[in-house]
Amino acid sequence: MSGAGRDLEIDRLRRARPRDRFVRRSLFAFGALLVGAWLVGGFDLGDAFSEQRLRNVDRFLGEIRPYPLQGEAWDHGVFLEWARGLWVEKGALAVGRTLGIAVLAIVLAALLALPFSLAAARTVATPEPYVPSGRPPTRWNRWAWRGLVGVTRTGLVFLRALPEYVWAYLALAILGPTAWPAVLALALHNTGILGRLYAETVENVPTGVPAALRGLGAGRTQVAAAALGPALLPRLLLFFFYRWETCVREATVLGMLGVVSLGYHIADARVRGRHDEFVFLVLLGAAIVLAGDLVSTWARGLVRRAS
Amino acid sequence: MTAPELPRRPPAVGVRGLTLLLLLVAGALSYEGLGLTAAGLWPNEGGLAVAREFFGRALTPAWTSEARFVPPGTPPLLLDALGAAGRTVLYAAAAMSLALVIGVVLGFLASSSWWTLGERRGIGRTVTGALWFVARAVIAAMRSIHELLWAVLLLAAMGLSDLAALVAIALPYGGTLAKIFSELIDEAPRDAGEALRGAGAPALSVFTFALVPRAAPDMIAYTFYRFECALRSSAVLGFFGFPTLGLELRQSFRSTNYGEVWTYLYVLIALVIVFDWWSGRLRRRLVTT
Repeated sequence: MSGAGRDLEIDRLRRARPRDRFVRRSLFAFGALLVGAWLVGGFDLGDAFSEQRLRNVDRFLGEIRPYPLQGEAWDHGVFLEWARGLWVEKGALAVGRTLGIAVLAIVLAALLALPFSLAAARTVATPEPYVPSGRPPTRWNRWAWRGLVGVTRTGLVFLRALPEYVWAYLALAILGPTAWPAVLALALHNTGILGRLYAETVENVPTGVPAALRGLGAGRTQVAAAALGPALLPRLLLFFFYRWETCVREATVLGMLGVVSLGYHIADARVRGRHDEFVFLVLLGAAIVLAGDLVSTWARGLVRRAS
Repeated sequence: MTAPELPRRPPAVGVRGLTLLLLLVAGALSYEGLGLTAAGLWPNEGGLAVAREFFGRALTPAWTSEARFVPPGTPPLLLDALGAAGRTVLYAAAAMSLALVIGVVLGFLASSSWWTLGERRGIGRTVTGALWFVARAVIAAMRSIHELLWAVLLLAAMGLSDLAALVAIALPYGGTLAKIFSELIDEAPRDAGEALRGAGAPALSVFTFALVPRAAPDMIAYTFYRFECALRSSAVLGFFGFPTLGLELRQSFRSTNYGEVWTYLYVLIALVIVFDWWSGRLRRRLVTT
């Protein structure tokens, strides 16, 4: 094929390409939103470069130099001494607590998400899971199960719609400054996310094994424990580690509300105007996040390879 | 005739089972290490009073301002809340547009296929390798600092300004988009790319016309998902003084106008749910597998 014939063929293929009106409209609307935000938003960006702001930035950059070295010549020994002091005095304990909050929160979230995900999965929460029972279920029965799925899904949406920070802010006012507000905030938000992800995974489990167990007379709980659990475990663990990563990020920050994680010391250093400590601790937070990412990637690889 | 080989008996606890057990132990250790008690989950007297008052208003959010003194001509609270929601969307959208630029540029630079397409030798190879490494490092640095930490850093450096809010969201989101984009491009099916390569197309064409289009649906779906996250981040930035939903929420909570707090919470929830629905539907259309 050559020349005009080929062009015609290309044109025919182009016309026949799959097109989806919803997708195209969504993309258009989203693009308009991104551009429109700049036109409607009235953001005052020039203000960021006013003389006073630039002076502020200049001062800030001077103040992040370690305190004992301000106005002095650079000295590695003094710097290391300063960093070690901060680490021993605040950093180590705060890092430990931040990681503890993240681990406890995600373990709680995973435990809470399990029953919710079963109640939200249309393959399990139905009058006749996997195999027809022979007796058609009553209409009332059908509606009751549908209601359970609906209520559970709505509950999960509510849990994940509110950011961790808002959950923590509310919990802190009620429970007081222990680690619980941070743990609960992360656990609740992630229950919403893991519950949805787990429910989708439950619905995608091939029906063979659960149906066979049902045929032998197993109930929902037994099917879940003996058939769904083993089939799901790899994916559940993948999601678990993936969300744990974000928990580490968030746990660092939640401390700024006054809970004992790294964020507490960050906010404290900022209030005291010690910008050197402030930046040191922010970088320490970044280091934990990177370390958490590495651990999570490693663990996910381990889970994926084990078969 | 030899006896039929029996399947090997599986280990009592496999790698995954062991992981599961270790996680439970880690959870218990964290509980101990944080010095938590089950009693801490129950509020003390003061907390209980707040909880009662706060949750008592859950089903009766405020329609009008609950402030002691309301100046005449104040618009109804719902309009206020919708205005704050609008600003939340605007901050998120403007930040997201910056993040997309960062994400696309760095994502391409950090994708391995970009660099392995052409056959470069000698100095060219060193330069491209270095660029790839730098892109990865920049992405890691931007991503590892949480948007709220970027926000306090920028606030400390230059004070409250719109640019601080936008950049605070755009940097970590741009980094995350770049990381995911590069992975999606690297994992996209190579069929079309190989065909173009075989026909002698230059590396740049292969990349733009075969690799990127294959990854595009996933990239779009992920961008929508991140926008939903950006909405939450933008709302939370209000707690640091930017005029989004978080600011109103904090002010109302501080003045114990709990009815107003619930109004703002419901508006925030509705906002997130709308975008959640939108991005979910788009994802189902785009990602068919």
